[in-house]
Amino acid sequence: MESAINEPLQPHTKIKQAQRSKEKLSRTWPLHLMLLPAAIVTLIFAYVPMGGLVMAFQDFKPKDGIFGSEFIGLEHFRFMFEYPDSKEVIWNTLIISGLKIIFGLIVPFVFAILLNEIRKMLFKRVVQTLVYLPHFISWVILGAILTDMLGSKGIVNTTLNALGMETIPWLADGDWFRFTVVVSDIWQNFGFNTIVFLAALAGVNPSLYEAAEVDGANRWKQTVHITVPAMIPIAVVVGTLSLGNILNGGFDQIFNLYNSLVYDKGDIIDTFVYRTAILNGQYSFGTAVGLFKSVIGLILIVFAYRLAYKYAGYRIF
Amino acid sequence: MKKWLSVLLTLSFAVTIAACSGNNNGNNSAAPSNNAGSNGGATATADAGGEEGFVNGKYTTPITLTTVWGLNENGSVFKEGESIEDNVHTRLIKERLGIELKYNWVVTNTNDAYKTKLRLMLSSGEDMPDVVAYRGDLETVNMLIDSGQFMPVGELVDQYANETYKQGLEHDPAIWLPITRDGEKMALPILDYAYNGDHVMWIRQDWLEKLGLQAPKTIGELEAVMDAFVNKDPDGNGTADTIGLATGFKNGFNNWMTDIGFVFGAFGTMPGQWNLNAEGKLEHGSVNPAAKDALAKLKEWMEKGYISQDAALFDEVAGSELFTKGEAGIMFGPNWLPAWPFPDLKTNVPGASFKAYPVPAGNDGKIGSAGGNPPSNGYLFINKDAEHPEAVLHYYNWFFENTANPQPGSEFANGFAEGYDYALLEDGTLTADIAKYPELFPGLKDKTAPPLFYSLTYEGARIPTLYADTHVKLAGGAQPETPYEKQEFNTRTKENIDAMKVVVDQKDIRMKNYYMGPLTETMQSKNELLNKLLNETYSKIVYGQQPLDSFDTMVDNWMKSGGEQITQEVNEWYEKAQ
Repeated sequence: MESAINEPLQPHTKIKQAQRSKEKLSRTWPLHLMLLPAAIVTLIFAYVPMGGLVMAFQDFKPKDGIFGSEFIGLEHFRFMFEYPDSKEVIWNTLIISGLKIIFGLIVPFVFAILLNEIRKMLFKRVVQTLVYLPHFISWVILGAILTDMLGSKGIVNTTLNALGMETIPWLADGDWFRFTVVVSDIWQNFGFNTIVFLAALAGVNPSLYEAAEVDGANRWKQTVHITVPAMIPIAVVVGTLSLGNILNGGFDQIFNLYNSLVYDKGDIIDTFVYRTAILNGQYSFGTAVGLFKSVIGLILIVFAYRLAYKYAGYRIF
Repeated sequence: MKKWLSVLLTLSFAVTIAACSGNNNGNNSAAPSNNAGSNGGATATADAGGEEGFVNGKYTTPITLTTVWGLNENGSVFKEGESIEDNVHTRLIKERLGIELKYNWVVTNTNDAYKTKLRLMLSSGEDMPDVVAYRGDLETVNMLIDSGQFMPVGELVDQYANETYKQGLEHDPAIWLPITRDGEKMALPILDYAYNGDHVMWIRQDWLEKLGLQAPKTIGELEAVMDAFVNKDPDGNGTADTIGLATGFKNGFNNWMTDIGFVFGAFGTMPGQWNLNAEGKLEHGSVNPAAKDALAKLKEWMEKGYISQDAALFDEVAGSELFTKGEAGIMFGPNWLPAWPFPDLKTNVPGASFKAYPVPAGNDGKIGSAGGNPPSNGYLFINKDAEHPEAVLHYYNWFFENTANPQPGSEFANGFAEGYDYALLEDGTLTADIAKYPELFPGLKDKTAPPLFYSLTYEGARIPTLYADTHVKLAGGAQPETPYEKQEFNTRTKENIDAMKVVVDQKDIRMKNYYMGPLTETMQSKNELLNKLLNETYSKIVYGQQPLDSFDTMVDNWMKSGGEQITQEVNEWYEKAQ
């Protein structure tokens, strides 16, 4: 945006540009240096461990270690696709995380617009903070709270009963379980994206609204023609980034809420891997599934990024 | 100015991070070398005097024994200024045995953090410390054995174990089965009191009396009692908010507490384990046709409100809260529940009382309850490269000799250390009541800190038969004589002591899990699938989400999906192990 404004004012040559970037670097190098610790941490904790992926192609035995275990090629991937429950588990993951992504985008989008219309600064800030708070509570705790609240004698069902409605098996029936999982996830996380959207809204030039008002646009028209278009690029970015997570159904959440009654509708790849790989000591298989998930995630991100560039004209890099 | 400030800040951050990682590396590499150094030193002097330098019950030159530790709820109460690394236990062991315990790392053992950390060590191929204690699932035990980092202990036991430990091991030779590989015993069993995990039926005695009921002896009578508990408002609050039986089968239908397995026992099987059938073969109890009848019974109970609508959502602990909240009137579990979690019931429902009764029999006389397993609870693994593997046995022996069953007047007759797990009043009587005498337990708040819980063997040493024998004797009205008897008499509630007598009287109804071997090959690849199939079908039948007859389809599926093969493997193991 900055360059778009500057460009017509400063027609420049290549030499000038080089000089300028040099000047810029001399001004900004402390900032680059500040990036260094984060880059080092990422290198150590995100890139170096990738070497362990080799386990996915091995019959890994703890006593032999990574360097001594036998290579067996794609055996674990074959096992993964032939496993009777694989289809069910992948399907559950796609549905649950698909719903989470869609509603995880819509809810904060709408909420940010509504919050943006509020003129009382204090109220706005308080609401913003309150909806952001659940983001910081661990699912171990939330799981126990929800199990208690949503149980047959929990506060939710007793209230329903008092209103003359029937007890709802929030966590004991497959379909209700999906509902509970998606809603509770959105409740926990929509505050975060709301802040991202609000930041986008803060950047909208107020003169646009003034001009629209002069042209006779009402509040609703202003929202549709100014606010929403201003938010679309950031919504595309948030959507793109979350697509990479489509094979993560949210282990913490499902693991702390699920039970044998909802296996057929609520069991996701991660909980399945936990039971097969961690509980039965099949590390190689777990790594293979993890690698599979990452590859699919990467493909989806690249694909969505291309789409975002083509149709929304947005580039991150 | 500002720019330079930011540069300085950045640099200092970078340096800090570099220093941190440098430090960590330094520590990691320093630990083993340090260790090797001290061990080397010990060996050198040991060679000079005596064979291992262990003279008169003590290493003449102190040796170091490295280990790792997960802080459990029991053993995490420390006096001010003490920790697992430095406390009355470690100091005493160093003074008496010349063994210095060194903890390479310590975690707080919530959510199986200790297990996870051990497994991570295994998978990254890290070197193990001299001794690793593990109490928990057999899979981790197998992984530890399979890591090849630990030594066979058979000879060590023959050579160094004292008589008490040896006798305890002989109580049930099956104790070695889970950890035997090619005839080699790969770990030291940590002994526990026999029958300690076997269940009784706990009933709210005040509810029984209020409704004028007798304790049930059969499943039919149990149903009558549960019906009264559900419909006759035993807690007298005017609303129908009580249920019969506290249970939670999130983790399966054969539980260590809030057990539901007895219903299956009353029909002649036990789910979730391998039972010995009439032909002398092992069979998986969950696919026995009798389980179908038990499931029909449970379904009926769920419909009638005898068990909680949320039972499938609850694990054992959550299930027990039904009882301790005063919502349920019956709960199956071990004799020691009055120590935990029943005190919560007394807090939540003042005036509540409970009593242990025998497990009820089926209407046709069949009876069964899971239990009767060999009296071990955890293992000690000894590193094959340990300089002093025998030190672990000297350590364990010391507890058997001094704390397991001390004689009247001996040093540990009152407990481990005054001001920690006991105190003496001015008139010489023994107390552990910290709430009443806080001044006698300096540095502690609310809870005593029994140092035996700090030990590598989790609670010092336990002689398998001692606990049951003592309790039966005390339940019969005998006066406590030895310090152990007195201690049990003083620290255990009357309910607890009576419960143990109930357990021993019923010791013949226990159904042992006959398969104690490592995970077979098919188990490793199919266990998840099979368990999921079982648990899902079981829960859905009980909840009425699937018809009862889906049990038969499930059994077929189970057989076809690997169950048949596993049954074969299990029986091969059993024939060899016998």
